[in-house]
Amino acid sequence: MTNIPANVIEYIQSMWMAEMILTYLHIDKQGCLIDWGGYPQHYGLTTLVKDKSVVEQVDFLDGFLDVTHTEVLQYLNIGGNRCINAHIVPLDDGIYVLLFDVTDEHDRQQKMQQQVNELSILTYRQSQLLQELEATRITLSKEKQQLEQASKLKSDFIATLSHELRTPLTSIMGYTKLLDDAKQADEYESNYLKSVKKNANHLLSLIDNVLDQTKLEIGQIKLHPNNCNIKQLLTDLKVLFLPIAQEKGLLFDIIIPNNLPVQLIIDELRFRQILINLITNGIKYTDKGFVEVNITWQNERLEFIVTDSGPGISSESQQKIFTAFHRENTANHLPGVGLGLTISYHLVELMKGQLSVESSPQFGSNFTGFIVADSVQFANASNVQINHTNIKVLLVDDSIDLRSLIELYLENDGYTVMTAGDGQEAIKLALQTKPDIILMDMQMPILDGYNAVQQLRDKEFTKPIIALSGSNIEHDRDYAFKVGCDKYITKPIVPEDLLNVISKITKQ
Amino acid sequence: MAMLQKKICMIGDFSVGKTSLINRFVREAYSEKYLTTVGVKIDTKELDLTNGNKVKFILWDIAGSESLTTTTVSYLRGAAGFLLVVDGTRRPTWDSALNLRQEVKKQIGDKPFVILLNKADLKEQWEMDKQVLEEKTKQGWKLLATSAKNGMNVEEAFLELALLMST
Ligand SMILES: Nc1nc2c(ncn2[C@@H]2O[C@H](COP(=O)(O)OP(=O)(O)OP(=O)(O)O)[C@@H](O)[C@H]2O)c(=O)[nH]1
Ligand SMILES: [Mg+2]
Repeated sequence: MTNIPANVIEYIQSMWMAEMILTYLHIDKQGCLIDWGGYPQHYGLTTLVKDKSVVEQVDFLDGFLDVTHTEVLQYLNIGGNRCINAHIVPLDDGIYVLLFDVTDEHDRQQKMQQQVNELSILTYRQSQLLQELEATRITLSKEKQQLEQASKLKSDFIATLSHELRTPLTSIMGYTKLLDDAKQADEYESNYLKSVKKNANHLLSLIDNVLDQTKLEIGQIKLHPNNCNIKQLLTDLKVLFLPIAQEKGLLFDIIIPNNLPVQLIIDELRFRQILINLITNGIKYTDKGFVEVNITWQNERLEFIVTDSGPGISSESQQKIFTAFHRENTANHLPGVGLGLTISYHLVELMKGQLSVESSPQFGSNFTGFIVADSVQFANASNVQINHTNIKVLLVDDSIDLRSLIELYLENDGYTVMTAGDGQEAIKLALQTKPDIILMDMQMPILDGYNAVQQLRDKEFTKPIIALSGSNIEHDRDYAFKVGCDKYITKPIVPEDLLNVISKITKQ
Repeated sequence: MAMLQKKICMIGDFSVGKTSLINRFVREAYSEKYLTTVGVKIDTKELDLTNGNKVKFILWDIAGSESLTTTTVSYLRGAAGFLLVVDGTRRPTWDSALNLRQEVKKQIGDKPFVILLNKADLKEQWEMDKQVLEEKTKQGWKLLATSAKNGMNVEEAFLELALLMST
């Protein structure tokens, strides 16, 4: 180290690195390598030649030979596996390049930096992922909203369509009954009539099922539990189905236990619907043997088992049988759309009960269900025939067919009938003639039933008003009561029921 | 006659593929493993130019960062041009590149450069939008989609820069 100038030594000492073995290069003003010391080969400088251009031998010095003051290049890796700090020091007799080994420090720094960078990339990817997830969530929720809207539109459409179909059916069925009652038809006509009646009935039950399913889908079915003469209901069903079963050569029975209360508080209409669905299915699928309904009453639970000797249901189908529009393969030649069981299943659920199926190909099928019901004391109500001649009925309906049909029934029963074709006419007539009861169609041109009733009530008309409506949507029913109706009857109108209601209300 | 020598700096944010591009260019090698560069690593590569001349590139693979540091500034001295590297799958590295370009200009003046949109093999994670890139191309900037992984446009990138530096 004897030929290093004192000021260079001083510089080294100032860095507190004097104890290190120094590697250096000495370059003259022309850029030629004059001399070197230490271990340049440690840093990859293995073939140094004196008096030759240094930049051709030491690549990193290219561009640094014109420095005017000391330049430090930190953490330089110029080949080999060592890392250096290069201090480029310009002096009077050329440039000294001092190389310090900083490999250990570099490695420490490298480890730390590696962790920082990797963490930073990870965080970035995570935030991107979260953003993507959020975007997906938003898209999905938008799609869900659209689907829900589409589904609601569909349900509303089906509901509306079903109402529209119900109204003309009322008049078809009514006139058919009237024609049938007249009993003057010849054999052909009578057969035609039977056919019209059968098909109208079938159409009506299809519409009702579709409507019910739609309402179940949009959660609109509410139960209306009331006193129900359960024994009567079961007997009626027996009377209804016996001839149908007999026609197919089947045995049919409904077995009613002795301990069954006379009256239960249930939604009679809906319970009847459940049993009708199950019995209809049993008879439909069974070609030979029997269909039997067993009723038991225990612990406030009304249990029913509908057993048939039909072809049975495969275990695969048993799992899907309560799904909407599912139909048995064996049923392709039979009428229906596969809603009856779904509706029954959901109705039973609404009644806090359960419905299940058991079946095997050899032994037919067993539909077992129960509903929860309160029993009540039997209240003795006897129907007394009364004279209606003095009772004035105002019948309001825009359908002339329907109007004349109901008018016929009412007059048959002795009532004095006035008619109006829209709400406005009805209000005028009601205020003039003061009827004892009004039968008001809800959907009419000019002024609809809801508005007419409201205006009548506003004008202090206090007599009972019965709403006649093609809609059995909960909301419409509630609204009718809200505007002042006393009773709500859905079309198609069963004449006997209507007459019963009028008779009961006018008696009060 | 001494061969023409050019100093080229690799500049860009961390982990954009600067080291990988050099490994591909100099050694035809590639590794999936990430080993961050601290300080600078110097490599050389001789290249035959299209005009028949030979050139020796001195390649400075500088530690990645979103902006220059006092350490990195000293590495730039004498550079004839630089490759500005962006990770096409990380949009923020584009902004770093724009920022670095400004800082480099302040230090060593307006030197030729080519922007490399690296990791072009990762199409599914691509975050660069075309509009911004087209805008820069219109301004006269050279942009190249590269992949150190499959070698796409790597040599072309260095040749493109050599061309810019010779004019
Ligand atoms: N898929 C893919 N990965 C790449 C490509 N180039 C580099 N990588 C990967 O990206 C990571 C970072 O690459 P490096 O070359 O170390 O990046 P760098 O820019 O030198 O990073 P620093 O030294 O930290 O600034 C490594 O895991 C590489 O394998 C590429 O073209 N395609
Ligand atoms: Mg690197």
